[in-house]
Amino acid sequence: MSRDILVLDHLCKSFGPVEVTRDVNLVIREGERHALIGPNGAGKSTLFHLISGNYKPTSGSIRLDGDEIGGLDPARVNRRGLARSFQITNIFSGLSVAENLRLAVMRRYGLQFNFWRRVTHLRRVNAEVDDLLQKIRLTAKARSIAGDLPYSDQRSLEIGMTLASDPKVILLDEPMAGMSHEETEYTTDLIRDITAGRTLMIVEHDMDVIFTLADRITVLVYGEIIATGTPQQIRESARVKEAYLGEEAG
Amino acid sequence: MEQIVFALLNGVIYGLLLFMVSAGLTLIFGMMGVLNFAHASFYMVGAYLAYTLQPVTGFWLAIILAPLLVAGLGIFVERFVLRRVHAYGHAHELLVTFGLSVVIAEVIKMFYGNFPVDYSVPSDLNFSAFALGGMEYPFYRLFMGGVAVVMFAVLYLMLTRTRVGIVVRAAIYRPRMVEALGHNVPMVFMAIFGIGAFLAGLAGAIAGAFYTTNPNMALELGVVVFVVVVVGGLGSMEGAMLASIIIGVMNSLAVGVNVSLADVLARVGLGDWARETGGILTLQLSSLAATLPFFLMLLVLLVRPSGLLGEKE
Amino acid sequence: MLKKLVAVIAVLALLLALPALLSESMLNASVQMLIAALFATAFALLCGQAGMLSFGHAAYFGLGAFATVHAMNAFGGDGLLPTPLMPLAGAAIGLISGLGAGYFSTQRTGTYFAMITLALAELLHALAPHLKEVFGGEAGISSFRMPAWGFEFGSTIEIYYLVLGWTVLCIALLWGLTLTPFGRLVLGLRENSHRLKFLGYNTHALGTFVFALSAAFAGVAGALQALNIEAANYVVLETQVSTAVLLNTFIGGAKVFFGPAIGAAAMTFFGHVTSDLTRSWLLYQGIIFMLVMMYLPRGIVGEILARFRGEGGAVNPVAVLARFAGILVAAAGFVMAIELTQRFFSTDYKAARQAGGWPAVEFAGHMWAPFAPLTWALPIVLIAAGLGLVTFINRREARRQEAQI
Repeated sequence: MSRDILVLDHLCKSFGPVEVTRDVNLVIREGERHALIGPNGAGKSTLFHLISGNYKPTSGSIRLDGDEIGGLDPARVNRRGLARSFQITNIFSGLSVAENLRLAVMRRYGLQFNFWRRVTHLRRVNAEVDDLLQKIRLTAKARSIAGDLPYSDQRSLEIGMTLASDPKVILLDEPMAGMSHEETEYTTDLIRDITAGRTLMIVEHDMDVIFTLADRITVLVYGEIIATGTPQQIRESARVKEAYLGEEAG
Repeated sequence: MEQIVFALLNGVIYGLLLFMVSAGLTLIFGMMGVLNFAHASFYMVGAYLAYTLQPVTGFWLAIILAPLLVAGLGIFVERFVLRRVHAYGHAHELLVTFGLSVVIAEVIKMFYGNFPVDYSVPSDLNFSAFALGGMEYPFYRLFMGGVAVVMFAVLYLMLTRTRVGIVVRAAIYRPRMVEALGHNVPMVFMAIFGIGAFLAGLAGAIAGAFYTTNPNMALELGVVVFVVVVVGGLGSMEGAMLASIIIGVMNSLAVGVNVSLADVLARVGLGDWARETGGILTLQLSSLAATLPFFLMLLVLLVRPSGLLGEKE
Repeated sequence: MLKKLVAVIAVLALLLALPALLSESMLNASVQMLIAALFATAFALLCGQAGMLSFGHAAYFGLGAFATVHAMNAFGGDGLLPTPLMPLAGAAIGLISGLGAGYFSTQRTGTYFAMITLALAELLHALAPHLKEVFGGEAGISSFRMPAWGFEFGSTIEIYYLVLGWTVLCIALLWGLTLTPFGRLVLGLRENSHRLKFLGYNTHALGTFVFALSAAFAGVAGALQALNIEAANYVVLETQVSTAVLLNTFIGGAKVFFGPAIGAAAMTFFGHVTSDLTRSWLLYQGIIFMLVMMYLPRGIVGEILARFRGEGGAVNPVAVLARFAGILVAAAGFVMAIELTQRFFSTDYKAARQAGGWPAVEFAGHMWAPFAPLTWALPIVLIAAGLGLVTFINRREARRQEAQI
């Protein structure tokens, strides 16, 4: 049995009188691919914002590998080993693809306030960038300006940047949003490929993707977890059908 | 006592004047996301136009015509300058309006010279409204305050009670949605820009006669107005109102207070040390009045960066 | 790469040879141009590379100048440092004040940031007259350059080389900075500071530091100014100084490294040569700035570089020349209109009218009467002809491009 890497304990978040996250308890195990599903407005994005440090929890705790990260700012959360991607593509559009990845990689080498080394001579950083380029299959476009790439390539870059800080846990927020069927298949394959052996938490609306990719699934409705289990268990859960899948089918 | 009453009254009226300018700025920012750096220049143009028209048309017609012309200028700027650079982003729009403020100041200098012009309160309005403890209070100040209040009442009613107002308020929050509903959003933007410019021009036309009308007035007021919107919270009309009044009152109260930091430190026995150190410690509060808004701004930035009534980012 | 190196060496050689080629007055102008170029390059580190628009850079330029004057006057006039090292005082004060101001202003981004920088500069400007010990009141503070390292520092030539040395050194350092990890992060800050946070970077610290560096180099520029004129007055804290550097930077092109320096040098040069001819230079500068922002959003140098890289399709040299001619004709008409207006509304003209009537004024070697039709018809015809030509060429080019597609 692998160990628990990310533990959400009685996590709550309210905006004024509105409770968006209600008493969420969830354990993510090391190495699993865990999908978070639920109807629109279920609070999936809020949960990601809480975990990644964008929002501060109202109460409850978030532990990453045993350390409390609830309420830390995004930069600190990232440095503790949790990286996320964004639903709306969030890259450095004016810089080259390689430069995007280099910025993502550099932090781990403590190069924030370095004024004396040339970026082109950072051997290990650049080797890692090349490696990432290969993984996200953008080696040929390394020098293109990120903002000029086709949409699906920008999404790949987004995932690559998330991966670049070599995190213990990766959160992907709707990586296939706005993609065609072919693009979705391609990206699913890519995600499976590059997250092998890593812990992944993913929000996605495409059920085909979820059921082929995830080891376990958590269903969130109105800010509450109504079920967690293997794809098989979720498929068969009466409660999920009623609350969520039933809606979709109907 | 009378002095304090007078100072408070002066402060509130100055605050209302500030609000007349910052209201337009806030309206335009809230709606279009553009911080119009040249907004205070509209105030200055209003003053100069009223000064120019006054000998021909008389005071009353001048203070109506001048703001209308300024509104025309505002509409022209929106239509032919801002709309052109809209695609390059908000920073670019800010820069263009900054350039415009430079050009306006230089054009004013070209026509009127780089010195104050003789624009003053007409003699039939130059009388005292009331006297308190032997001190007389100029009627014209009350008149300025009155115009400002009437202006806000009209603006408020227009925004809350009319169909156009509803469209405008909706366009502030969801411009695309409003456009999808078939309203002509560019037209609304242009109108808002015109109204904002009108307000600034009116403030200039009226206040220019009381304070001095010179080519630096735009910058001097503009900086205070920017402080107002930072303190109040950018895009918040209520915040702009509150900050305008606070800064107005603070300014006019401070002018009458002859206390320095050294005097305060003397209370805790550090008076001699402070007087020897000199510099900022021995400056009288009254001479620092002009800098108080900036200190207030720094304080707000430390304690509540989003502004008094601004939304959190 | 080799081409760039050759270009840099050629420019350096020319700059080194200038004192032999120029008159005293032009050499003085060159010193001003170098200082403006350094100031603009330092400013562009913040507003071009980091994307943080500052409206108050006069503060750091001015503080650098005052720090230098005080350093020169230290120890009874012996100076805190030998004369050639004086700009270090400007750099130090720029760095320190920049850390403080940057800490506050980078609490916010975008428009807020811009307004805070303006307010901070105005705060200093409003305080300065009250702090006579530091800023010297109306008269300012003057000082003398002491001989050091075997140089007198008495002649313009010596000052020119001192300023040149510091300017080249600082611009080289700023160029080097763009190649480092920090330099790249600064670009990231401009492109997407939100994303940088989620990559684990402390963006507030980054922003504060880039602000401080920009202020430090602006401080060096201020120091060079103080060394050049051997004085500092709180005029250097005025808004016009912040305005000038901002206009220069964006006219040249804030996002290309040498754009701001070229823009600032060119504008300072034109300002110098036209100072005897017109009183409206700032008006022209403002108009040029607005036109550049509207029609050449990347700045003049930026747009030229983009054309060289082949953006915007093949260049038709005839069309370019024709456009250029059209712009020149229109500009001539425009300048004539402005200059005549300026003359008719000047105080000199009011004085001349005391004698009665409407006397003619001199412009470009001719006399122009205010109510003569030609006085106003000529500029209008020039403007219309020039703009007409540009419009005609633009339409034809557009048709040609359509035909090609």
